[in-house]
Amino acid sequence: MADPKRPLLDPAVLARLGTLKLRVRAITEGVLSGLHRSPHHGQSVEFAEHKEYTPGDEIRHIDWKAYGKFDRYYVKKYEQETNLRAYLVVDASGSMGYRGDPSRLTKLEYASALAASLAFLLVRQQDAAGLVVVAGQVQRAVPPRAAASHLGTLVDALETVQPGGPTRLAAAVDWVIEHAPRRSSVLVFSDLMDPEERVLRKLAQLGRRKHEVTLFHVLDRAELEFPFDDPTLFLSMEDDRQVEAHGRDVRKGYLDVVTRWLDEARRIAAEADVDYALCRTERPLEEVLLPFLARREASAA
Amino acid sequence: MSLGFVNPALLWGLLAAAIPLAIHLFFRRRPRPIPFPAIDFILRARRETQRRLRLRKVLLFAARTLLLAAVAAAIARPRAEQPGAPALAAASGPRATAIVLDASGSMRYRLDGRALFERARADALGALAGLTPEEPATALVCGSEPPAAEPPGFDRAQVRRVLERAEATAAHSDLTACVAAAVRVLGSAKAQEGLPKRLVVATDLAAHAWRLDVPPPAVEGPGGGARRPEVTILDAARGSPLPNHGIVGLEAEPDPAAGPRGFKLTAVLANHAEAPLKDAPLSLVVGTGPEAKTAIRAFADLPANGTVRKSLLHAFPQGGPAVVRVALPEDGLADDDSRALALIVPREVRALVVDGAPSPVKYRDEAYFVDSALASPASPVHPRLVDAEAFPKEDLSKVDVIFLLNVRSVGSRADELRKFVEDGGGLFISLGDQVDPDQYARELGALLPMRLHVEKTADGHGSAGGEGHPARFAEVAFDHPALSIFQGEAREGLLGARTWRYVLARPLPGPGPAPRVLASFDDGAPALVEARRGKGRVLLFTSTADRDWTDWPIRTSFLPAMQRFAAFLAGSLEDRREAPALVGARWTLHLAEGEALTALVGPDGRERGRAELERGGLVESAPGVIELTPREPGLWQVKVQARGEERLEPRLAFAVSPDPRESDTRRLEPSELTAWFGGEGHARVEGQARAGTGKEIPLWSILLVLSLGAFLAEGLLLG
Repeated sequence: MADPKRPLLDPAVLARLGTLKLRVRAITEGVLSGLHRSPHHGQSVEFAEHKEYTPGDEIRHIDWKAYGKFDRYYVKKYEQETNLRAYLVVDASGSMGYRGDPSRLTKLEYASALAASLAFLLVRQQDAAGLVVVAGQVQRAVPPRAAASHLGTLVDALETVQPGGPTRLAAAVDWVIEHAPRRSSVLVFSDLMDPEERVLRKLAQLGRRKHEVTLFHVLDRAELEFPFDDPTLFLSMEDDRQVEAHGRDVRKGYLDVVTRWLDEARRIAAEADVDYALCRTERPLEEVLLPFLARREASAA
Repeated sequence: MSLGFVNPALLWGLLAAAIPLAIHLFFRRRPRPIPFPAIDFILRARRETQRRLRLRKVLLFAARTLLLAAVAAAIARPRAEQPGAPALAAASGPRATAIVLDASGSMRYRLDGRALFERARADALGALAGLTPEEPATALVCGSEPPAAEPPGFDRAQVRRVLERAEATAAHSDLTACVAAAVRVLGSAKAQEGLPKRLVVATDLAAHAWRLDVPPPAVEGPGGGARRPEVTILDAARGSPLPNHGIVGLEAEPDPAAGPRGFKLTAVLANHAEAPLKDAPLSLVVGTGPEAKTAIRAFADLPANGTVRKSLLHAFPQGGPAVVRVALPEDGLADDDSRALALIVPREVRALVVDGAPSPVKYRDEAYFVDSALASPASPVHPRLVDAEAFPKEDLSKVDVIFLLNVRSVGSRADELRKFVEDGGGLFISLGDQVDPDQYARELGALLPMRLHVEKTADGHGSAGGEGHPARFAEVAFDHPALSIFQGEAREGLLGARTWRYVLARPLPGPGPAPRVLASFDDGAPALVEARRGKGRVLLFTSTADRDWTDWPIRTSFLPAMQRFAAFLAGSLEDRREAPALVGARWTLHLAEGEALTALVGPDGRERGRAELERGGLVESAPGVIELTPREPGLWQVKVQARGEERLEPRLAFAVSPDPRESDTRRLEPSELTAWFGGEGHARVEGQARAGTGKEIPLWSILLVLSLGAFLAEGLLLG
């Protein structure tokens, strides 16, 4: 259901916006009010504030001048400029090109809009954002940078992505493990239609390497509700398979399978400390973005 | 227990049960192709639910089929019929049993949509199934063949096969003889002498099949004394009366009153029922196959338990072989509701009448009476009258018969005339005062059946008052085709003719085919003499064809006689058909030279090839002479091959009649039969359902409940 106060966040409206840039602007304008500065504090050159020393603080950060003035220990705190490196992993396999209704965004368009919006928000607060586009293999990779000009590169890259080929998220995971030297945030946008059944376990490898993993599980309404009533020839979007079935006959079984699959995905994500968010392409993007941002802020506080 | 239908014709509705299958096979919707990412889930879901779905589909299909089939079957009103008590055996120890199955024509009667024979067979099989394993049994089918059976044995399968393979014939069968044969068979097994004997007869109790005036069958006991067997009569009609009407006779005879080529067809209609039949539609159908058409529609009133003769007049449009069928509305016994007849319609005969003594006074003209007789209405003969002087100019190739009436001389045409006769033409010669026997001997000596001698004058002619003793015809060959129409009182018209003068004739000297004297005068002198010359025939009348020497021309017999002579001389009378054969009787086909029988087309329209016919008893006793036994009543058509061409030969078509005795479906009182077998201590009649010993269970209500159940099941499965 579109929010009448924020019509630009309605996917149906976004679908009518021609380019990703326009969509990003529309999205970020809608969610900017909820955006805060980076909650991560680090060793930056820019002084932030004093804080009274408590056991456990770094002794080398004690401001001795303040001690001389106030006879109390204060610790200097700095604001870190690029304290977060985020990798936006976008699944561009054939199945991501699906939309159950021509008026809706495809899953890939929805995922791209999400990824671009988050990139905008990250870069805006001097976090570094990189991009990994994956299908059967890593198709394109943009290393993370925090420069404002980098945003254009990311959006351009996302805009040119075309769905096709099989899903193989493991390739993206391997790429991130290989190229991310230190703790990073990995945001994965995928429908998880991966022939490799243990793809979530693979994502959990990132968590074990201290990366913060968030999975945006993008699905179309038709995939969740299976609104087919007639004899239908279902054609695979990633290979040559096809199956003939009467929608009414298999609906119940299909919904059971999907429910079990989603439950298992949530369970494995929880076990692997992967932040999981189910994104239905007919829902406004703010329903995904705002809770995500709120969670991040809460976890960092 | 047997199954019957009140409306068996509505069983066609059962085809509706195939509708779900037809829809499934032919009206299946083509699936719409749709790209879909989660195809693995569909496959998994289908795998998990496939068995359940398949079972559901099968159940749904079965429910729909059952729904339609049950409704269709219920409309046909089925009912189960349970005969009285077939379990006869267990009561009084093992017995040797002979089962007699009536396969006579009356058993083809359809009662409530089912043939009595089928009911009787089911009863017989039920009786067989009711026997204990230690009871030996045999079966005898009482049809058109002489009754024969194996001695009782323990091979039940063999006995069952005999009963299952039996077919009801349209022929008459004598159940008294069959029962006697069965009893003889029961007594023939020496090893079973000690066993009591039992006879089971599955029949319709038709009275005509039993001869109750002969002693009842008895088995000779070991001590030489006769013992009566225990008899169980299984009534296939379940006590119902079997009213039947039918055509029990059909004859055809030429009838000039009907016009040229007119025939009078006389059908004997019988009504074996307690109620008279009023205004029963009777139709005459002429022709076969697609060319058959109803020529006459009439009505007949049939008295209760009586017969009536009904005559129909029909003139055939052309001569040659013809087929007619007379039909009454179909009733329980369809075999006798129509009867076919194959006949030969006389072809048109072209006759040349040569007048040897013309006269301006008609009744004194030599050819007046002959010409009038041949040219009368309804005559198949077309005469052309010429004077003796004009005869030499006539073209003989355009005529079939030549009448030489008191012609003095044929002159130069004698040779031509001889060739005309030898090539198949007919010649009638009558004499008179113009004829000189010596000249005839010279000119027509090779053609004359006898040599002419002298004139003889009978006493009294020409004397005062005309009284005297004229000669009359005697020793007439009424079996001759030309004279066979003179039967009964009609002979008076021939035998009453008086002749005062005639020419004596003597047999020709030397060898040669002997002439046949068809009639002579009462003094023994030949009057009508026939002889064959080559392919043709010559008929000599030794008196005049006018009233000069005889008064025959003014007798009633003269006109038909002249027409028959013309037809006979033209060769069309010998195509006379034999009377229709009775079903099961031997029939002989005479093929023409160069013809070979390839098949027979039966009354049902089915073609039976030569091999099948030979299995059924066809034999070629002599070249071109084929004997066979037709077993179905109706018209049989013969397919022959001649000159490399296969065709139905109308000349050979023949009709087969059902045995009229089988039309009489009046039934014996059960008590009469049991009394004949020795009273109720020896015999009993079972299967009197309507008399209260059996029962009928209507099944249609069960079927409707079943269809309702199927409907509800379908709804549940769809939900």
